[in-house]
Amino acid sequence: MKINTKGRLSFPGGVHPPESKDLTCESKIRPGPAVKQVAIMLSQHIGAACQPLVEKKQAVQAGQLIGEADAFVSAPVHSPVNGTVKEIALQSHAILGRSMAVIIDADPDNNPPKLPCSEFKDGFDENKYSAQQICDAVREAGIVGMGGAGFPTRVKLEPNPQVPKETMIINGCECEPYITCDYRLMLEWTNQIVAGVKLAKKAAACSEVIIAIEDNKPQAIEVMHTALKTHENGDNIRVVPVKTKYPQGGERQLIKAILRKSVPTGGIPPMIGVLVQNVATAAAIAEAVVTGAPLTHRVVTVTGEAIANPGNYYVAVGTSVGELIEFCGGVTEPSAKIILGGPMMGIAIADLTTPITKTTCAITVLTKEQIGKAKFAGRQTPCIRCGRCLEACPEHINPTKIAHAVKNNLLDVAEDYYISACIECGCCSYVCPANIELTGYIKTGKIFLARQRKKMPE
Amino acid sequence: MTLADLYQLWNSAWPAGATMLGLGSGFAVVLLIASEKLKVQVDPKIEQIDGALPQIDCGACGFAGCTSYAKAVAEKPNLIGKCAPGGPETAGKIAEILNLQVSDSGAAQRPIVHCRAHAEDKTYYGQYQGILTCTAANALPTIQACKFGCIGYGDCVSACKFDALHNIDGLATVDYDKCTGCTACSKACPRNLIEMVPFRHENMMTVACSNRETGKATRSMCKVGCIACGLCVKQTDLFSVQDNSARLDYEKYQPNEQAETAFNKCPTGVIIYRGPSAPPPRQPKQKSAAKTASA
Repeated sequence: MKINTKGRLSFPGGVHPPESKDLTCESKIRPGPAVKQVAIMLSQHIGAACQPLVEKKQAVQAGQLIGEADAFVSAPVHSPVNGTVKEIALQSHAILGRSMAVIIDADPDNNPPKLPCSEFKDGFDENKYSAQQICDAVREAGIVGMGGAGFPTRVKLEPNPQVPKETMIINGCECEPYITCDYRLMLEWTNQIVAGVKLAKKAAACSEVIIAIEDNKPQAIEVMHTALKTHENGDNIRVVPVKTKYPQGGERQLIKAILRKSVPTGGIPPMIGVLVQNVATAAAIAEAVVTGAPLTHRVVTVTGEAIANPGNYYVAVGTSVGELIEFCGGVTEPSAKIILGGPMMGIAIADLTTPITKTTCAITVLTKEQIGKAKFAGRQTPCIRCGRCLEACPEHINPTKIAHAVKNNLLDVAEDYYISACIECGCCSYVCPANIELTGYIKTGKIFLARQRKKMPE
Repeated sequence: MTLADLYQLWNSAWPAGATMLGLGSGFAVVLLIASEKLKVQVDPKIEQIDGALPQIDCGACGFAGCTSYAKAVAEKPNLIGKCAPGGPETAGKIAEILNLQVSDSGAAQRPIVHCRAHAEDKTYYGQYQGILTCTAANALPTIQACKFGCIGYGDCVSACKFDALHNIDGLATVDYDKCTGCTACSKACPRNLIEMVPFRHENMMTVACSNRETGKATRSMCKVGCIACGLCVKQTDLFSVQDNSARLDYEKYQPNEQAETAFNKCPTGVIIYRGPSAPPPRQPKQKSAAKTASA
């Protein structure tokens, strides 16, 4: 596909929130806390939830399969530690409320911290593995999209004869403020990412790969570029810098910026022959295919002005948020909000026992001042029709119109204004001078619509 | 004005009058013919049924309003009984109009909120600052400790067209005198707490909790939650415990002594009466100062 070459690649709309990445961008990936107990959610992905395969008091090994589902769109879960199953019980989940989880007591003597994979050197040859082998390994390792959505990677990779994938975009934008886990991955695990990219390219039978990195990370661009030169068969893999703007890392925005193509509303990128993968997913693919290790650990950025020692940590999936925050020295200033993910799209949590899942890329702790007094008091003023949300919206919909329709329970109007096209990036709420929670209303409207459809199947 | 002037005026005006008269009668004839030829046969039954319906357009039947339900029920008589506010009486009237025999459709359905925790009974981990509707608050579920209980922002209150639901101290409370049983509230609740129950008796007994947590976890979250101890099951087989929560079989329920004992023995006082003249709920057997809550 033809790449757009005019100027700094970007998309219309978007915002420029303060980046605040300097808190953690120099902090190397360190091993996370030695956990006493992990809670492995049985639903960490989009699709069918897993059924537990272990019983109470059963001994489990690190990497052992503990939950699986038969459905095609699903991903198995594995134990990150050696230990015994304490129970299978309800556990707090940021979105689902309470969800089933396997709770494992870690063996205190027999749990060395997991180190990053050191298998990967220059000149990785992906031809040792067949496309089927790669897909199977990805499925068995339970890899899901690690950028946040958690779509099972095997489903994405598997070639579909009806919609052949031409281009694969590896998403290293990391446009959310504060988060630096992908940036550190690109700097430190460069060879592993390149290997993963090559494997994914082979499995999905794409003809070219574009690694997109925002131009506020020149070091990462440089490192990835040099690494590609040292690898064979790296000709069709390119590093493309894109403009620093939020939400550049949204897959629809990224495709628009690089290929000047629009993904149809309500559609997915494979419809126009494009596949978008996160860099962390690429790293996980490489590890799963080469060493056969399942996805049990991930890099999490623990950040925010209220954290004593912000940094990037390689932590076990299932570690509780509270434990991780404590490991980072706890909170110093009066913190007001703990967010799983970044401040723009993350989800605020109140229960510190909520475990890290495969899709948690960051924990951001914000202070009261940062949230703003007006926002804190929930003070909204009437819409002044300034139109800033329309300018900022990367999907070119009318957030204020939809929000008011949802507020007044006019769901058909909201649908006429394409409520389903919203990617929930939060740009409209960010720019709104009246403090209206536009994204919140749109999200609520989507829930209403989903419920309406469920109730009226005819 | 002379007579000649008047004559001249008449002379110039009468053709216009005659033309209008002619046109008018011409159109009248056309309309008369059209009304006869293009006559639409309206089923008199539809009008009769429409007259029998309560005309409140609540939408409980699943149709846009009373008139569209009347049309539908005239075509498909198996839709009789969908009118919740009208209840068995309206169903009987419709059956009479359609010359049908309807077996007793049972008691009127009324909503029961399966939660009895007021704000002071609940535990909160954080302070919610978002949009003040239950659906929006339910998207950030970790704020309230109990993920199954009433959120108390009143989605059901705004759904009720009859002013029969009120948010009393963080708990949706049904006013059974005003309730018509239109099911709007049970559809509005994002946690599916409101169940439509056949009210065979004036007051119905219920287990006012939907919590699926273990007893220990429930205790830590709510002062008046069901801890699934099974004391009620020992009294009478009206109760059963499923998913860590007791349930009452509303179909079988009869006010009797055993049920009354279960009501009195329940350690958290989660077995309560709901209805227009329901006795007040019992307070949980805890030393903590649980304030008086009225149903």
